[in-house]
Amino acid sequence: MNNTSQLERECHTYTQYLIGQSPSPYVVNRYLDFHQKSDAVRASGFDAFDRFLVSLSARRPFWAGMADSYASVFRKDSVVRKKLVVTLALLECAASSFEALDDVQGLSLAATIFQLSWRALRYSLLLGASVLVFTPVRIVTSLSLKPRALPVLER
Amino acid sequence: MEPIVVVGSGASGVHFALTALRKGRRVLMLDVGHTARGTVRPSDSLNELKKNLPDPIDYFLGSRYESLVLPGGHGEYYAFPPTKQHVFKKPAGFQHRASGFNPIYSFAAGGLAEAWTGGCYPFTARELNKFPFSYEELAPYYAKVAENIGINGADDDLTSVFGWQGDLMKPLDLDDHASLLLDTYKRHRTVLKEKFGCSMGRARCAALSKELPNRKACSYCGRCLWGCPSGAFYTPSLTLDECRTYPNFQYIPGLYVDHFRMDNSGKAKTVVASSAKGEIQEFAADSLVLAAGTLCSAKIFLESIYRNTAETPELRGVMDNRQILMPFVNLRLLGRKWNPNSYQYHQIAIAVENANEHLHGLVTTLKTALIHPLVQTLPFDLGTAVSVFRNIHGALGMVNINLSDERREENHVKLDVTTTPHRLSIQYRAKPDEPQRLKRAISTYRKILRKLGCFAPSRTVHIRPMGSSVHYAGTLPMQSTRVPLTCSKYGRSHDVENLYFADGSTFPELPAKNITLTLMANATRIAEEAF
Repeated sequence: MNNTSQLERECHTYTQYLIGQSPSPYVVNRYLDFHQKSDAVRASGFDAFDRFLVSLSARRPFWAGMADSYASVFRKDSVVRKKLVVTLALLECAASSFEALDDVQGLSLAATIFQLSWRALRYSLLLGASVLVFTPVRIVTSLSLKPRALPVLER
Repeated sequence: MEPIVVVGSGASGVHFALTALRKGRRVLMLDVGHTARGTVRPSDSLNELKKNLPDPIDYFLGSRYESLVLPGGHGEYYAFPPTKQHVFKKPAGFQHRASGFNPIYSFAAGGLAEAWTGGCYPFTARELNKFPFSYEELAPYYAKVAENIGINGADDDLTSVFGWQGDLMKPLDLDDHASLLLDTYKRHRTVLKEKFGCSMGRARCAALSKELPNRKACSYCGRCLWGCPSGAFYTPSLTLDECRTYPNFQYIPGLYVDHFRMDNSGKAKTVVASSAKGEIQEFAADSLVLAAGTLCSAKIFLESIYRNTAETPELRGVMDNRQILMPFVNLRLLGRKWNPNSYQYHQIAIAVENANEHLHGLVTTLKTALIHPLVQTLPFDLGTAVSVFRNIHGALGMVNINLSDERREENHVKLDVTTTPHRLSIQYRAKPDEPQRLKRAISTYRKILRKLGCFAPSRTVHIRPMGSSVHYAGTLPMQSTRVPLTCSKYGRSHDVENLYFADGSTFPELPAKNITLTLMANATRIAEEAF
């Protein structure tokens, strides 16, 4: 898989993960453009584990959630987290996807609190699972693999 | 007779110039004068822009994604939008060195207030205590400025805190959240006043609730943060445009003023400026008015002193308001829908006056700011954070709390002549009791918010670095006695006879509030009374 295909795949998976929709071609192009212009995902000290998280998270929204849950506590400034924030920023500025981000169901206070609690509980469970999955991987990668660049587009 | 030469087109410079022009004086304004790109689709609301612009990401994040806030970034809750990046663009070669201070400069036409949030809060008689003139002497100029720029507000509990009421326009419409906060306050007013010395009311904002000649009333399009498309929100470039209608006004942008030359009698003789291409130009000056902002005026003054005398004095007493950003959630609005078409800056203000401290808090309810800087700070994965944020968006607010500052000897600016070009060197040390002051302020506002039905998580409270408020002042203070490195009550330098300061340099103290209205009023006063 070439760099462009890999980045397009990331954009699709991350958008599905964040708002449950596919990205518009405009957002995908801008995601590629960001990787072409910005050093943020190039120069930040990523390592083999970072590369693993990005690679795995691009496969399915579920794995994006797992990688992100782990990164939310243990790798806050990781590349996968940065890529997800980039995707979020692009989505909030573009037509149709911004509406998905702003869409509020307008539930009662009790229903909202229940929903928020459920999301928090789900996050806790996912975080626990991600620790079990990723901690051994992190140990192994720190022992055996050397850093390598993540896919970027030529400027 | 040579014109009055004014350096800088910020809030102070344009109000000085406009007053002098109205008196029939000739004014030459020299300015770097970076400008914004033009307004796009002025009749669109914010969400319509996202739908109608051919490249909305370019508009909202910038062509090089300069407004994107990534994890591990600067830690602020807002990024300056691309439409305002020109406000902070520096001329090539401009350098500074700072310790304990994070200075922000502007070389834009209209200056730093091109990116202000419109808060118009006069200083009270108590807050003018160290100024060499009384509140009564300044009050008429507050009224003049209000007439020029248009300020909205209400006669409410904050009137006693702000003092001057003036001729305010009726307040703008409140959004649901601000309305709920005020209603809750009214129910708990007595307790809040007795326990915390808290007063709450409508913010005073430089935004039009009714039309003025050439300026429309606020249309509630939600675009405040990206630049008001109708001119309803005041910025100094509007006054600069007004100045340019006078035949006795000459505005020369594209020039960086480096220093002035003095004659044998110690008067400023010419002003030396350079263009972006490095061409040097020199302008004769009978009277020179520095209104380039506290730090840039200091740089010009110090450079001139050095070139004329080889001395490098320290300008002591630089001040700024320490600011605390306190996001909060109004629990009764969880899960509620919200309206992006509303005024986006401060709609209400919370003042605290007690024996320990006078604090000034400005409340915004954050509807159309970009959400990704905030979402990434929530303690979840981003998928969960997006879902949670969607349900708390309508309930979110932010208080920007200002603390006062005072002139202290150890805080100074000076010229560093060891580099080429010379650079401004700034040193700031907070007062030893600042941690306690911050702790008290945070605790007080969290308790007030709790009483208002809101929750402010302690981990999201952000103490901004000194320099972030951009309320710089105090380097060449006004005082009655003739002391070197100060100026008279009319801003006239005690060191160089025909040199005037018309910006924050002249303030001998800095209360806990936005200073822009007082900058404009004071510059108007100086032009009216000294020229």
